[in-house]
Amino acid sequence: MMKFAELTSRKLAVRRPVFAMAAAALFASMLPAQAEKLTIWGGWPEMEPFYKRVGEQLKQKYPDLEISVELIALREHEKRNALALPSGAAADVIEMEVEATRYLEGGLVPPAPDNVVKFVKDGKHFDTFFQDSVTFEDKIYGVPLFRGQTALYYNTDMFAKAGLSGAPKTMADYTPYAEKLTQRDAQGKPVVSGWSLRLSGGGQGVAEKFWINLFQFGGNLIEEKNGKWKAAFANEAGRKAFKQYVENVQVLKTVSPEMKADAEAFELGQTAMFIRESWVIGDIAKKSPNLKYATAPLPRGSIVIPVNLYVPTKPGKKADLAWEYVLQANAPENLQWLLDNIGWLPNRKDVDYSAIIAKTPAFGAFVNFPADYKFFSLPAIAPASEILTRVAARLVDGYTNPKLQDDAAIDAFLKEAAAEVDTILKREGLLATP
Amino acid sequence: MRELAGTWHRKGFTFAVLALLPALIIYTLVRFIPIVETLRLSLFQWNLISRRKPFIGLDNFRELFTDALFLEALRNTTIIAFGVLAITVPLGLVLAALIHHRTRSRFAGFYETSIFIPHVVSLVPAAMAWKWIFDARLGPLNAVLGLFGLPPQAWLFDPVLAIICVIILCSWQALGYAVLIFLVGFKNIPQSLYEAARLDGASALQCFRHISIPQLKPVLLYVSVITLIAAFNIYAQVFVLASDSQGAPGRLVRVLVLDMLENSFRNYRVGYAAAEAVILLAIVLALTAIQFRVFREKGRA
Amino acid sequence: MSDKASADTGIPPTPGQRILNGVIDVVLIVFCILMLLPLVFLISNAFKSPQELLQWPPTIIPRDATLDNITSVLADTPLLRWITNTFFFAVLSTIAIVSTSAVSGYVLGKFKFPGVHIVFGMILATAIIPFEVYMIPLYLGVQQLGLLNSLWGLLIGYLVMSFGIFLIRQYVISSIPDELIEAARIDGASESWIFVRIVLPLLRGPLGTLAVLAFFQAWTAFTWPMIITATKDSYTLEVGLALFQTGFTVDLGRLSAAAALALLPSILFFAFMRRNFVQGVASSGLKE
Repeated sequence: MMKFAELTSRKLAVRRPVFAMAAAALFASMLPAQAEKLTIWGGWPEMEPFYKRVGEQLKQKYPDLEISVELIALREHEKRNALALPSGAAADVIEMEVEATRYLEGGLVPPAPDNVVKFVKDGKHFDTFFQDSVTFEDKIYGVPLFRGQTALYYNTDMFAKAGLSGAPKTMADYTPYAEKLTQRDAQGKPVVSGWSLRLSGGGQGVAEKFWINLFQFGGNLIEEKNGKWKAAFANEAGRKAFKQYVENVQVLKTVSPEMKADAEAFELGQTAMFIRESWVIGDIAKKSPNLKYATAPLPRGSIVIPVNLYVPTKPGKKADLAWEYVLQANAPENLQWLLDNIGWLPNRKDVDYSAIIAKTPAFGAFVNFPADYKFFSLPAIAPASEILTRVAARLVDGYTNPKLQDDAAIDAFLKEAAAEVDTILKREGLLATP
Repeated sequence: MRELAGTWHRKGFTFAVLALLPALIIYTLVRFIPIVETLRLSLFQWNLISRRKPFIGLDNFRELFTDALFLEALRNTTIIAFGVLAITVPLGLVLAALIHHRTRSRFAGFYETSIFIPHVVSLVPAAMAWKWIFDARLGPLNAVLGLFGLPPQAWLFDPVLAIICVIILCSWQALGYAVLIFLVGFKNIPQSLYEAARLDGASALQCFRHISIPQLKPVLLYVSVITLIAAFNIYAQVFVLASDSQGAPGRLVRVLVLDMLENSFRNYRVGYAAAEAVILLAIVLALTAIQFRVFREKGRA
Repeated sequence: MSDKASADTGIPPTPGQRILNGVIDVVLIVFCILMLLPLVFLISNAFKSPQELLQWPPTIIPRDATLDNITSVLADTPLLRWITNTFFFAVLSTIAIVSTSAVSGYVLGKFKFPGVHIVFGMILATAIIPFEVYMIPLYLGVQQLGLLNSLWGLLIGYLVMSFGIFLIRQYVISSIPDELIEAARIDGASESWIFVRIVLPLLRGPLGTLAVLAFFQAWTAFTWPMIITATKDSYTLEVGLALFQTGFTVDLGRLSAAAALALLPSILFFAFMRRNFVQGVASSGLKE
């Protein structure tokens, strides 16, 4: 130990100047930045070129302005909002979905200034649905930007090979389609899934995807009654939707949890069809431009998740700049660029998207849907994400549970899951009484 | 010490108090109060923003034990912790014995360093390296399996295989520490014991079994407990390795710390998360108590 | 070192022993290479072109080494900023831990007043309580102070280290004789003079060890920085990298480049401080 001690003391002496330098640099780094800087936070990394582009346009007007675009994975972005908003440390412009409600409730995001309110309230710009999505207690807090809306993507080559001429029309058609489309190896194991279902992954995505299928059967995961909520999937629609998963996974084996799934599988030619949002169009164009595919509306309707921009910065010069940025993002030319290059669907309706849709027919299924097409959205209540996460955990287990093949067992399973949802709603004082 | 006390009592006392004060204040603010606060919060229902913070007694704990996600996290974490233990301790012991045997080898420094480096390097880049190894499409692991005619596995997408991957990564990181402590243990075994045994004609293996292992028992126990406690707190490794198919980090293999963070900062249930923290504390205290108990028994024997 | 008696007796090893030793060396070398392989591949992948990354078997030395990955990562992420943040965080944490441990360890080791044992017991008790247990209340405290996203907020979690106080106290008890201190007192030296001029120089060894441990502890911290920092500019290296890899799950070359750049400082630092580090970690296993 002694010898060792002498050795270190010499090293410490050498390091002293390093410490001094470090301290000097530290104080230098704490000097405030001179230029005005706007920070943009979002949960879709593929949006980066769009936000940078808007930033560049604003910079032409304000040459000193600095724009920092910070996009990370959605769940981490939501966590960052949860951490930063209560302490006033959030960015100047942030993307939020329905979870915004709890921050608006808590008074953590200031309402929009008059010019922004006027822009949003103009019926020429947005449908009521999108206006409502940024409204809390009759005040406008944000500006709608784009939405997550789903459609069926299908590989036209694989459909042709299986002798199928178009997309399945009813939800009941999906299973025989999937069976015909599945490609198997010599042992009968699926190597190309007929229909890529979201079977694993823990997070709330599994429950969202289940809800989309459930909706096609006429059901909902939870339903509103006079501002209160209740689990609504322990019924026939729930059983049908769940049974379809079990049938595909356990009985027909058209898909398995181990297979590559979702957009990645589709781009690699490892699945014949799947349901997803419009951004996949942009993703395919980038990663797999030669893929032959088409899209189709879903049998009954789609989920719509509005993504809005908010400005948590306290009113002032910086907040004004941030709102200017938000409005600039909604400039017609930028929204066209967004649809054309990234593939998310802009919500502003007085913009001409027809040239882009004509160029990329895959967008058709998202904008030209039947007149009676129905939409639903995730509930704007504080425990929404907790409910979805918990239902998801049960579903992941259930899909592969061999005991869940008969109706009685499925009903019991759904009833238990619904009871858990109601317990959460009750805890938050949101449970609708029958 | 005692005879010194009288002569400098007053002056020394002032110095001691003044010198201890800064550390005590810091400890109070950043350790003692937060720990007590965790215990207190676990009895409340509180959502981080709200002013409403009702006292609900042990309800949080009652709910935890019916909470499927928490139980899954507890189960995963326990499996990982004991999995890491089952790999690290025996392997570490054998490696330490071999390295100790070859202390004079010109490679001794290389052995020590290369086994120890994984323990010290930054967690996230190291986990990223393993993520590539386990990758189903590009990773060398499946390619190596292919050489033996085994089918490729979706290592990081299958919930069971993903846990195995986490165990492998954590063992890779924990091994260096175990080997190092065992090496210290080997060096502290009196050489005379081996010499006596060898005079009696004992083989090297017999020496290992009947001298090294009993002599190393306290060290073995210490390393086991430290390894377990460390593994009960894992988060970074899972965050990087166990992303789900959408890239939502850490949700495929749910562990306690992740569940705690999700409850506090996603679901805004701070009291509930505090109750989870109290259970984590109870587990760690129980493990430590077991260690102390076995130590004391050994001392008495 | 006395433990090598068997090898030092001067009796040349028998041929059988020599073969056995050779086999052990081969086994250990192979194992050690396997241990290092993930890191070697990571660094090598950082320099590979997208085509070469897809090749099997993977090359250890890239055929056409390219700096594209590294330049593109440095352009896309404030990696240098993250390294700077982490460095200052680690340095300040080290200073705080070394100074609190030196003073407290000395007082707790050499001063016998009622209550000293209780204080030491409480400090030691917090050593076994994982940080994760009390980090949420601590986070709320940092939030109230308005120190989120700052170096100071990070630092609050890493101001003290119970093991450090334990280490110094053990060293003070075992290696600093009472007579030395008493002699100085008889000469009329003040208590603070004794500490600064006599005790501190003797503590250089264990404090150096502690400094290395503290630095690495902060450098590799993950969970705490993850909740304290939410802005890109305030991330530490580990957090920035972990979030970066969620955004670009497919671009392996760039991911490896970022990881390799993050890894390098810790490997270099370890290479320079290896003895201190090994000594420090080893001493954590020594019981009273």
